Amino acid sequence: MSRYRIAGKGRVDHGAPVRFTFDGRAYAGLRGDTVASALLANGVHLMGRSFKYHRPRGPVAAGSEEPNALIGTRRGPGRFEPNTRATMQEIRDGLEASSQNKFPSLKWDLGAVNDAAYMLFSAGFYYKTFMWPKSFWHRVYEPIIRAAAGLGVAPTEEDPDHYASRNLHCDVLVVGAGPAGLAAARAAAAEGLRVVLVDENAEVGGTLLSEPQAQIDGRPAWDWLAAELEALKALGVRIMTRTTAIGYYHQNLIGLCQRLTDHLDVLPADTPRERLWRVRARRVVLAQGALEKPLVFHGNDRPGVMLAGAAQTYLNRYGVRVGDAPVILTSHDSAWYAAFDLQDAGARVQAIVDLRDAVREELLNEARARGIPVRLSHTVTATSGRLRVSAVRVNPVTNGKVGAGQAIKCDALLMSGGWTPSLHLFSHTQGKLAWDEDRTTFLPALTPEDCVIAGAGRGLWGIAAALRDGAEMGREVAQALGKAGAALAHDVQNDRTGSGVSMKELPTDRNPGKAKAFVDYQNDVTAKDLRLAVREGMRSIEHVKRYTTNGMATDQGKMSNINGLMIAADALGKPAPQVGLTTFRPPYTPTSFGAFAGYHRGTHFELTRKTQIDAWAEEQGAVFEPVGQWRRAWYFPRQGEDMEAAVRRECRQTRASVGIFDASTLGKIEVVGPDAVTFMERMYTNPWAKLGVGRCRYGLLLGDDGFIRDDGVIGRMAEDRFHVTTTTGGAARVLNMMEDYLQTEWPDLNVWLTSTTEQWSTIALNGPNAARLLAPFVEGVELTEAAFPHMSCAECTVAGMPARLFRVSFTGEIGFEVNVPAPLGRKLWETLWQAGQQYGIVAYGTETMHVLRAEKGYIIVGQDTDGTVTPFDAGMGWAVGKAKPDFVGKRGLARPDLVAGTRKQLVGLLTEDGSKLEEGAQIVFDPKQAIPMKLVGHVTSSYHSDAAGRPIALALVEGGHERMGETVHVPMPDRTIAAKITGTVFVDPDNTRLKI
Amino acid sequence: MNAPISSFPPGALADTTAARVAIAPACGRLSLRARGDLAPLEAALGLALPGRIGQRAQGGTVQGGAIQTMRLGPDEWILQAPEAEVAGILAACAALHASHPHSLVDVSGREVTLLVSGPRAAELLSIGCPRDIDSVAVGEGRRTLFDGATVVLWRDAPDAFRMDVWNSFVPHLADLLVTGCRELAAETV
Repeated sequence: MSRYRIAGKGRVDHGAPVRFTFDGRAYAGLRGDTVASALLANGVHLMGRSFKYHRPRGPVAAGSEEPNALIGTRRGPGRFEPNTRATMQEIRDGLEASSQNKFPSLKWDLGAVNDAAYMLFSAGFYYKTFMWPKSFWHRVYEPIIRAAAGLGVAPTEEDPDHYASRNLHCDVLVVGAGPAGLAAARAAAAEGLRVVLVDENAEVGGTLLSEPQAQIDGRPAWDWLAAELEALKALGVRIMTRTTAIGYYHQNLIGLCQRLTDHLDVLPADTPRERLWRVRARRVVLAQGALEKPLVFHGNDRPGVMLAGAAQTYLNRYGVRVGDAPVILTSHDSAWYAAFDLQDAGARVQAIVDLRDAVREELLNEARARGIPVRLSHTVTATSGRLRVSAVRVNPVTNGKVGAGQAIKCDALLMSGGWTPSLHLFSHTQGKLAWDEDRTTFLPALTPEDCVIAGAGRGLWGIAAALRDGAEMGREVAQALGKAGAALAHDVQNDRTGSGVSMKELPTDRNPGKAKAFVDYQNDVTAKDLRLAVREGMRSIEHVKRYTTNGMATDQGKMSNINGLMIAADALGKPAPQVGLTTFRPPYTPTSFGAFAGYHRGTHFELTRKTQIDAWAEEQGAVFEPVGQWRRAWYFPRQGEDMEAAVRRECRQTRASVGIFDASTLGKIEVVGPDAVTFMERMYTNPWAKLGVGRCRYGLLLGDDGFIRDDGVIGRMAEDRFHVTTTTGGAARVLNMMEDYLQTEWPDLNVWLTSTTEQWSTIALNGPNAARLLAPFVEGVELTEAAFPHMSCAECTVAGMPARLFRVSFTGEIGFEVNVPAPLGRKLWETLWQAGQQYGIVAYGTETMHVLRAEKGYIIVGQDTDGTVTPFDAGMGWAVGKAKPDFVGKRGLARPDLVAGTRKQLVGLLTEDGSKLEEGAQIVFDPKQAIPMKLVGHVTSSYHSDAAGRPIALALVEGGHERMGETVHVPMPDRTIAAKITGTVFVDPDNTRLKI
Repeated sequence: MNAPISSFPPGALADTTAARVAIAPACGRLSLRARGDLAPLEAALGLALPGRIGQRAQGGTVQGGAIQTMRLGPDEWILQAPEAEVAGILAACAALHASHPHSLVDVSGREVTLLVSGPRAAELLSIGCPRDIDSVAVGEGRRTLFDGATVVLWRDAPDAFRMDVWNSFVPHLADLLVTGCRELAAETV
């Protein structure tokens, strides 16, 4: 039995020891312990070092609000997590826990030199100290500060765990399973509603777990709790423990993080470590309770100084006495009960020090009966002890004057500054708060969401009040959901109600300017820092917060916000409600990246679309590149080839004989209806009325603004049916834009759009042998210049498969695009691949496609255009139907800016020294001008061209169309490259190669 | 000779105590868009087009009700039928083009149907579908999302669903369903 464990007490399993290590040393705890309770049972209070001053720290709380006892936890390779709260992590066999922020050891830490130099490290320290010389910031100060800063150590190995997520819908979500939450769940579930009850702790019960003395409906609290749980389960309530409501988002969407395996000795197979739930609840009951406030005095962070409520939890829930000789320091009645419980459990309480000058007679009697010395109207002005509190200095306060101090020896100091309703989730809803002068705290008032707050979360105190309010709120939401609604009444005995007063810093007889009286333990912010911030001109609480970092740590100010506010308000000489509270933001407690990522990691990281031919490409060793949501074959390297060599081979072979290319990702839209041609006339710049059935045309799509949005070849399959193709990345966007126009501007048109992108596998054949290869397979069309000229389309049969055949070319060679129903795609590909062997057919990827089209000056929307390029800028005025009365973008094109001659225009560039330009490189006219130079354009495409025998480039250059033959300059880091402006067609300008 | 070398042959992908995921055999699929007087189309198809989004109907002029349809939008229905009947359906409706403008597009090759069944099938869907699965009645369906992709969900029984997915999304979505199957099977309920 550990030294501080009380036999048989608490909810831990005294017959089930659990072994774990802390900083390499072996400890034993009990099943049901947290790391904090197990270490405390072994007399260990020192669990970490603070963030800024590296002061020794122990747990101050027993729950998720813990700011100090942050540890690293490990379970074998890769499974390491820093900054885990020791008060939440349950022990498991073999758990390796370690302290943080210490070097070389927790007990003797070098960084603690910061503590001695604390006068230097006051609020705004960085802003003031590291100003000069300016150049030092990047090179010296920032790297050093970064190296020294940070909580814990980031994991370096890949996390082998997996994470999950689910959606959940319910009528009522109850957050917090204390008495209020339990009662609310019961009232809602009794009406047959779908109820979900969540609690961040390992077991439900909330405050009941720490107050076994209460009697509810004639039964001891824990017996009542067990029976109530059974009743809730029987009513179908979904009860989720170890589940934290991390955020409250719009329209009652609540994020829950459920921890599934961290408490298990052995990891089960196929079980995620954590699961993120997205809950959409018709009504939400927030029953998160209240958090105890620390008191602010010199030395209030020494290990052994702890919240009184936490000590009560360690005692009653875990059977652990946090000390043998504690002193109680309080401004609230609740701490008196901690004193009584500890005294009854065998501790010798050295004194109850209460800041108030009068307390209830009943409390005084109870103290007297136990022989506990009581000091009313007293303060604590210091604590002593190196790694654990050993004495406190207690002073009387008379009429505001602090008298002489007297040391009281102790091994724990248990404090209570009263209780703050947990307003975090309510605050996420943009809820309004109201100041309650009696309780000197903010209470929830109005929220735009369908949610209610029950119990201590709205300032009600005691088990009876919480049960009553919970039942009432449960009834309220049931009624809001159209049920009759009823609230169960409960009889509660031995309830511990009480009241208290709120304090700022405790009065002291010493220089408050030298006090290390911590307000925010985690960020090492003291009362002095807050006052300094106000003195230095911070008036808004938001500025005070940022200047001092009060409330900005991972605990989100759970303990520090109200104390910080009281002190800032005092310094400003304003009432607290006028100073206001800073905003709480999600997540409520630190949440792992894994939980947010869920399933989206590794091969499932991002939705990746694959064509039917993708697997073939993979078998051939293709290298892939992402294009929109798709992955596309980029190039097909052979043994020993790099990208450049592979692309050069693919280009050369395509122009020499025939290349095969998977164009299935091109967007396809079937436009059908008697008004199809009218619709096409209005959407695209080109004229369509005279396009015959069986012919196709390159179409250009603009936005309202006149800039190029998309392009593609469009075939007229019938009078009332077009086969539209779009860019790969633009498919969804174009369909949405068309639907938008159709539904909002032209609902009178009888035309419908159907996405057929995935109906077809599209295989492109290009090269002088393309027709020769394809012709034997085609039935229904003769592949001759006369019967099926360039820009023809037809429905026919290819290799026995129903097909839509297009004669188009994006390479300048004889070209075909064969569309067959998607599942037949690979069959056709392999058929053509086999037959193509006699021609030395080459499979090419997107890079070769890019080179071949650039050699012909064909643009790629999104590469050679950037949303600011008009058809005229791109040299494609020929695609704009001048005689058309209207089309999307026609008005835009007439704007003065869009017809100006100095616009950036698409031209070709050939470097004088034969080097390849860099895509994105900036262009200047005069390389000798002073820096900053006037930039007149940039390179949009640049490749080595085998066909041109030299590198080629496309570029947008100011007034480029009028500058043919002129030389421009491309400044690079090492030199400036001169290049001549040319036309955009580098190969076969007369299109002789298109002819069969 | 035209047997597809399909990337998605029919068969089970995962089969656990919690749920089963399989690829359904191929079928014919048609996207119908129409408005106004639907009676001539209904006569040609041999079924009554359902009037509410998510509602389904069955019918067909051949083989006694081989066409299944679900209304997806105000003027949109999806039809499923044996592959062999697609040509007949297209022909029957083509005759109406002039008098009753509509759009009927063969999308048989566009999609694959995943079968999701088993005692925890509805929960399995909840890992990727933000919609309340309970709100989809047996015999109805919805166009919805699964793991970021648009899908059409058919609920055939309390624990039996079909999910129509565009080809290119199948590997990604099936991967998640298989992961989810294992995860649910490992849970002790």
